[in-house]
Amino acid sequence: MKAALFDFGAGNLHSLVRGLAQLGVDARIETDAKNCIGADLLVLPGVGAFGHAAQRLAPAREAVKQALVNDQPALGICLGMQLFFDSSEEGAGQGVGFIEGQVTRLTGKHVPHIGWTPVEGVPTEMYYAHSYACRPKDPAVVKAWSLHDGERIAAIVRKGRTVGVQFHPEKSSRAGLQLLGTLIREVTS
Amino acid sequence: MTTRRVVVCLDMKGGRVVKGVKFEGLRDVGDPVELAARYEAEGADEIVFLDVSASSEERKPLLDVARRTAERLFIPLTIGGGIDSVDALTAALRAGADKVSMNSSIVKRPELLTEAAAVAGAQCVVASIDAKREGGGFRVYTHGGKRPTDLDAVAWAKRCVALGAGEILITSIDRDGARTGYDLELTRAVADAVGVPVIASGGAGQASHLADAFEKGHADAALLAGILHDGHTTVRALKAELGKAGVDVRKEAA
Repeated sequence: MKAALFDFGAGNLHSLVRGLAQLGVDARIETDAKNCIGADLLVLPGVGAFGHAAQRLAPAREAVKQALVNDQPALGICLGMQLFFDSSEEGAGQGVGFIEGQVTRLTGKHVPHIGWTPVEGVPTEMYYAHSYACRPKDPAVVKAWSLHDGERIAAIVRKGRTVGVQFHPEKSSRAGLQLLGTLIREVTS
Repeated sequence: MTTRRVVVCLDMKGGRVVKGVKFEGLRDVGDPVELAARYEAEGADEIVFLDVSASSEERKPLLDVARRTAERLFIPLTIGGGIDSVDALTAALRAGADKVSMNSSIVKRPELLTEAAAVAGAQCVVASIDAKREGGGFRVYTHGGKRPTDLDAVAWAKRCVALGAGEILITSIDRDGARTGYDLELTRAVADAVGVPVIASGGAGQASHLADAFEKGHADAALLAGILHDGHTTVRALKAELGKAGVDVRKEAA
């Protein structure tokens, strides 16, 4: 399988590329999101800030949205998941808008939420590092929740062949990579 | 509930781990990539590479090490030491770090925290504070604990968070290497004053010290170095003891 990662220019993509490789997914990095369309799996990775990423995504936004509507398999991690939504309190600009809803700041005592937190239906904790969370208009898109400081966080969202995870499976050791493999199979098969 | 983290710190110089690290069956392993992977396999929740190089020349191999480590490590990696600009921070993240820790550079220029958070997000920015008990309070030191400042550790921690830090790494200079337990008063004073996660550092000697850092010190994470590197104990043994003591630690994959 061949995946194309959209690089917004902010952070570490090595772990994700290597993690995908361990799952038999050959990932290439693209600096124009349009070039990710048509790959077996389009990936929006999870590093950086929303405003900056939205700006980088802007020229390809409509094309990406259309691709997702047309069943392009896609995976978004952390900020990448948030980019599937309409907009974010974190920064200006628009997300892809494929999943209806806003991204808003966490309301718990500890922000950012950093650490290993249980995810509904998943046997081991997953690693989170975020200050904002997705608030889908339709709660049915949420496939699993996590709890942080008493606040429910959408941990896994799914719509069509698009899946988003708020945690970092590529930073959640062996169990994270296993889960990543399962989620990828679900949207690509 | 978010579990309590056990963070393993490796001191590096010239791209090698400087303090000898002994693993069972191995006399001394100085390769940071190899070591980080071994600590992950043992159940570490996070790895910190602290570069203690004296010059930028000596620090050069660090990014290459980060790159090679990120290819094998599937838990978070923090890099600290000598990061004094947004460019240096971005280079560290691009190379393979998930978070960057800054200490002397933010005392010198606190706005660096704000600039860093704007580019990378607060969750990538760790403010590292070295503090020493003095006159009933805690004085902040820089340059590896050598240079005193006029800053109070608790007030400085609050300011760091206000400026953009997403995590505080608080090290007790008094306890560093002593293995008599973390400075719980210092840890708690900082943890209670800020709304971001706090990593306790300096003084770990046994599992009960970590449990105390979490329960009495209100820390979210505890950093370890010496007691692991000299083979005194293992991450797995420590986490098993913590689990028995009722501390919520991460479960490993079956």
